[in-house]
Amino acid sequence: MSVLLQAILNGVMTGTLIAVPAIGFTAIFAVLRYPSFAIAAYVTVGGFAGWFANSLWGAGVLPALAIAFLVAGAAGVATEEGALRRLRPAGALTVAIATIAANLILENVTRFLFGNDLRGYDLPLRPDLRFADLRIGPQQIENVLLAILVMAAVFAFLRFTRYGKAMRAVADNIDLARLKGIDPQRVAVTTLFLGAGLAGVGGVLLAVDTSIDPLAGARILLTVFAAAVLGGLGSIPGAVVGAFAVGIAEELSLLAVPATYRSAIGFAAILLMLTFRPRGILGERAS
Amino acid sequence: MSVLAVEALVAGYGAAEEILKGASLHVEPGEIVSIIGPNGAGKSTFLKAVAGLLQPRAGTIRFAGTDVTRRDPQGRARAGISFVPQERNVFGSLTVAENLEISGYLDPAGAQGRAARLYERYPVLAEKRHALARTLSGGQRQILAMAMGLMTEPKLMLLDEPTAGLSPKAADDLFDAVVNLNRGGLPILMVEQHAVEALAVSTRGYVFVAGRESAEGAGPALASDPEIRRLFLGG
Ligand SMILES: Nc1ncnc2c1ncn2[C@@H]1O[C@H](COP(=O)(O)OP(=O)(O)OP(=O)(O)O)[C@@H](O)[C@H]1O
Ligand SMILES: [Mg+2]
Repeated sequence: MSVLLQAILNGVMTGTLIAVPAIGFTAIFAVLRYPSFAIAAYVTVGGFAGWFANSLWGAGVLPALAIAFLVAGAAGVATEEGALRRLRPAGALTVAIATIAANLILENVTRFLFGNDLRGYDLPLRPDLRFADLRIGPQQIENVLLAILVMAAVFAFLRFTRYGKAMRAVADNIDLARLKGIDPQRVAVTTLFLGAGLAGVGGVLLAVDTSIDPLAGARILLTVFAAAVLGGLGSIPGAVVGAFAVGIAEELSLLAVPATYRSAIGFAAILLMLTFRPRGILGERAS
Repeated sequence: MSVLAVEALVAGYGAAEEILKGASLHVEPGEIVSIIGPNGAGKSTFLKAVAGLLQPRAGTIRFAGTDVTRRDPQGRARAGISFVPQERNVFGSLTVAENLEISGYLDPAGAQGRAARLYERYPVLAEKRHALARTLSGGQRQILAMAMGLMTEPKLMLLDEPTAGLSPKAADDLFDAVVNLNRGGLPILMVEQHAVEALAVSTRGYVFVAGRESAEGAGPALASDPEIRRLFLGG
């Protein structure tokens, strides 16, 4: 029983960490209409940016998050403006493939700069908390709270600010948005900054939880993608729901199959969803 | 000076053949002008080109004396052209209130006051303020679309089949709303399937056939022209 509870608890925590980059991925998809697999590299870039600030200036988690958001967001905008934008007329598939290339390039830039080693953040060690049979690290609790805070900020931004509403309008109907005077290109750039920045925030949360290396983002890419597909591509609440579903499913799977099969859960989730409900849990469109 | 003066407009979608083949039309201050014609004549395409959603291959579009042929839709909205499309004319995933608010994007300071006046004029919108636009009935959606078009305080309103899919009663109400708007001085260019009703309230009308205007005249005169009745008005 407690094994099961522990797995669910772990799943919830994985889910919150995955939810942040998954929101970024799905937001970029909603506005720009292509899946950006470069999100993996933005996770890694953010994780390293935070690590750099932490080990060089002793930055705590909060400033590290802020720096990661800015650096990863800038990387996202630079990638879009420097390369992807020109490919957009060729269609979503072309851009999606180009994001895989961009991902490899960015990944290797971080490898060149920081090497292949696993890097840990320098944060005070604290003993695990215990509730009955359940164990949980104080840092994990903090991560979950931070992730929730970030998500709340994203929801508030989309719901209450003029820019957030413009973003939702463009995602809904780009031509109508233009007729109202909204410049979709500006919205696209903002969305990329936000989406890649969120991936970077996810990178720090992930790195604080474990460690960071050039492949850190690539390792969670499938899970992030599965979360977004499961929730319905382009739906932000969907990405959150999907992240929890995949996170919990992955942890539960560890009770039954060896850890090496963990990533099969992501694949299975995508396949099942595309077979039985292509628009996802909360998605509105089939495409 | 004409509010809108379009000369010999040629336009199409992508590399496909031309849809508009040299269409010309003008709208004078205070007018309601209707475009009627068979399906596929290019009426919607014409309005899209005037609003900037379609880049013409040839011809000119002058708005209040200024050449806007090369401007993007945002630029034309800023200049005062407001286009309510035939389909997908509201943001379905936004609430009624958000739809109005985002339609005032160009002038956020004045948006709240304008929305308040529109709620007063169209009480059904106030009632449905917090509903998602995709849950509205056809008539409510058309009213919202038109109200959204008014949020920019336009100097010219383009309406594409505002009564499409409405019950006869809702269609009448909508024509009344259009006439009321026009009484306030707003020039209106609309495309309509309900040709008789549209021409009855119009200053002038155009008949579009195969990508250009084939007849033009005063609204009531056009509605009673036997040749036009025979061809387009089912009588
Ligand atoms: N987005 C598009 N891409 C390609 N072709 C299009 C597109 N929209 C319309 N067309 C074509 O352009 C032609 C004119 O269409 P348009 O919608 O302008 O006609 P219309 O006069 O408004 O007709 P209706 O009365 O049916 O609304 C049609 O042959 C149509 O198939
Ligand atoms: Mg049409």
